[in-house]
Amino acid sequence: MAGIVCRTASRIISSQASCSSSVVAVRHSHWFTSMLSLKTSVPLRAEPKKKKKVDPRREIMMKERLKKKLKKLERVPPEMIPIEDFITSAKSFDDTRVREAPELSFEESERRALLLKEWSRYKRSQHQTEMLVIQEALEAQTQALEELKLESEELYKAAVSPDTDIFPFQHDGPCYTPPLTSYEAPEGKYNDITRVYTQ
Amino acid sequence: MAAPFTRVFRPFWRIITTTTSSRGVRNVSYTSQQWSAQNVKTAGAASPWALHGAVCVQRLPVVSQDRSPIEEEFMELMSKMEFERSLLADHELKLLDDAARMSRKQEEDYDSDEEEDYRDKEIVTAQDLEDIWEQKLKEFQPALRSQGNDQKEASSSERCLADSLILLVKKDVGSQKLWLLPQIQWQMGETLRQTAERALASLPGADLKATFLGNAPCGFYKYKYPKDIQKEGSVGAKVFFFKAVLSSHKHLPLENNSFAWVKKDELQDFLKPEYLKQVRRFIMAL
Repeated sequence: MAGIVCRTASRIISSQASCSSSVVAVRHSHWFTSMLSLKTSVPLRAEPKKKKKVDPRREIMMKERLKKKLKKLERVPPEMIPIEDFITSAKSFDDTRVREAPELSFEESERRALLLKEWSRYKRSQHQTEMLVIQEALEAQTQALEELKLESEELYKAAVSPDTDIFPFQHDGPCYTPPLTSYEAPEGKYNDITRVYTQ
Repeated sequence: MAAPFTRVFRPFWRIITTTTSSRGVRNVSYTSQQWSAQNVKTAGAASPWALHGAVCVQRLPVVSQDRSPIEEEFMELMSKMEFERSLLADHELKLLDDAARMSRKQEEDYDSDEEEDYRDKEIVTAQDLEDIWEQKLKEFQPALRSQGNDQKEASSSERCLADSLILLVKKDVGSQKLWLLPQIQWQMGETLRQTAERALASLPGADLKATFLGNAPCGFYKYKYPKDIQKEGSVGAKVFFFKAVLSSHKHLPLENNSFAWVKKDELQDFLKPEYLKQVRRFIMAL
């Protein structure tokens, strides 16, 4: 501001000087106290500018407040991975897929009820025999261990110690037909369309 | 552990166990005097019982068992009920659509331009797909469930695929030849499980690989030697059985006369009654 004032003043002065050379200490405007002291214009003579010390602190405070607000907004919990088994697909609610339920005759429903009861009795007896067999085997083992204890303590301790080599234990269970000895399965490729979710 | 029993069963079994323990009363009364004196000594130092380790190798079933009549009926009923309560599948919907389209084609005012999706494509109906699948299934010949050699050879491990079989060995015991589970005498410095493993490995001509189920014996049998063999300090023998599961299925056929793979029901034809009684307890054929 002061510089601009100086430049305009110098232009004015030079223009004035060109027309009247005898002007030396004439005040052309109240802004100029003297020609020689052009640099001291009124605004410069005022108090020095107050540097607001609180400003940088205030700015820092503002930034922190904004950051905190941002963090609060970002603290959204991660989206849960959906369990595919628990979601009933929309296909199940399709009305076009409803199967006509046949009407059961009285005899048929009676037969079904009686068969279910027969089955529960059969399963119960099966379970009991299984439990008896297991108990028998367990008793045989405890008796064997007692006899071994009578024989020798060392062997008994070795028998009772846990076996670490047995696990992992693998055995192929029974199938419907036994495996063909000279069978080569045909080679094929399959597209795995399982959905993989990342959090 | 085993499920809780009804009250009727517990006292029943207590009676049975007391009678079984009183079976060996003679032996117990004889040995108790010996034991109290010798309890402090080292393992097997002066016990009158020779220790043997035996192995009960089981070939587990390869094929599922046949269903009993009630199981068949129930299976049918369950599949029917499930079918009735189900919704139509994609394949069935396609079948219905194809049927509807065929019926539309048969009508007189059929305009093929009205069909939306099927104008220029080759149509493979769902019924065609079903026929193709059936054809493919017929081309595959699975192995037979029962090989038919159940009654013939007792030494083949391929017989009775639906049951679990146990290996029996014919052995000279004293003057007789008896069918036993493979056993061998215990040596100093090895555990009984190692004895059982040795018993399995030392079978002549058999290359059987089995996984032993744990360190503990599953049963025991003790017998007294006949009086003429009884020396000082050896009254009889105790045999401890260990269970094992046959792991490798392919092995050479064993000699007919000395080996047998036997179901639980057939054990009584091979084993002596006392021995059988103890062995039956831990063989679970469900």
